[in-house]
Amino acid sequence: MTKKGVLLFCFDTPDFKYHKILEKCVLLIKRNLKLEVTVVTNFETYKHIKPLGFVNYKFIEPELGNKKYGLEWRNVDRHMAYELSPYDVTLVMDIDYFPFTDNLKQFLDTKYDFLVSKNAHDLTNRNSFDTRKYSMIDMVWATVFVFRKGKKAKRIFDMIKYVKQYYSYFMDLYRVVDRRFRNDYAFAIALEQANGMITYDTLPITLPTLPPDCRVLEINDEGITWQYNDQVNFTKNQDVHVLNKEVANV
Amino acid sequence: MDIGELKRQSDLSYDISVAKRNALEKAHARLLLVYNEHIFRADAETINLVKTLSEVHPSPFYVLDTNNNPVEIAEPKLFLKTLIERNQEAISSYHQMSKTFGKRVD
Repeated sequence: MTKKGVLLFCFDTPDFKYHKILEKCVLLIKRNLKLEVTVVTNFETYKHIKPLGFVNYKFIEPELGNKKYGLEWRNVDRHMAYELSPYDVTLVMDIDYFPFTDNLKQFLDTKYDFLVSKNAHDLTNRNSFDTRKYSMIDMVWATVFVFRKGKKAKRIFDMIKYVKQYYSYFMDLYRVVDRRFRNDYAFAIALEQANGMITYDTLPITLPTLPPDCRVLEINDEGITWQYNDQVNFTKNQDVHVLNKEVANV
Repeated sequence: MDIGELKRQSDLSYDISVAKRNALEKAHARLLLVYNEHIFRADAETINLVKTLSEVHPSPFYVLDTNNNPVEIAEPKLFLKTLIERNQEAISSYHQMSKTFGKRVD
């Protein structure tokens, strides 16, 4: 029988208690996706995580050095998802992607070896995720992706490792404006290279995303209420990717 | 109308516009459906195509998934039923949400 599950990466930093975001995310996965969960973390983070029921943990030391807005950003280890996943088919999610629906679960039942989305929807309706103008290739959102272990997925992950190793070269080659290491670009470039510089199969979802300048006021079982300037709005029974890391404190 | 009331109406229109756009996006997300290991949109186009083919073409017939890969449909009735159920689940939820927009204006 095919073993399916969710793989999450979570490392606290001196500035953000990511484990608090993880706790919210795991509860929603268990309630809505009803899939087994494996968390890749380090012992320093693990000892702060509250009991979450049955969850597998894999310990690694995160690669340091990447920064976002001058703060430490431990996002570099995603390329190891293939080796770290104990599943035949794996859904990899950012911990700040909150699955308030079971929409993603069905994508573990396709014949595709690797699926990732190219689109995000700005929940504030400002269209702030039009990333096409910031590089010569389409960016993908490595926030959520699905892979099935096998030759093709292994080849893609090997390519991601190669792109990571020569990241600055590939940033120049594809004229990527953002110079920080971003999985989104590493994955996009690897997919383009591994697929012979032509189009590849994608996950046709549009990630509902809350920009970083929105303050999350409340998270409950059904959705999120947020504030942008003097406007308050909410989602109900809709997945949400929250970019403001202060959500850890809500 | 005083300027305060005008601003209040403008803010309300903005809120409703954002909520409507997000509700529509939610419906689009729910329209995605995995059938026979392929991904489809349970939208009007897919439903119409499957219904037409099932009426005028002997099964199995072939349709394209969201990645333009061909899929054999051996059980058209079951596929059509699945598409329609998902379509109405998504659109009915959108309809429920849209009724609240009207209430906000009142």
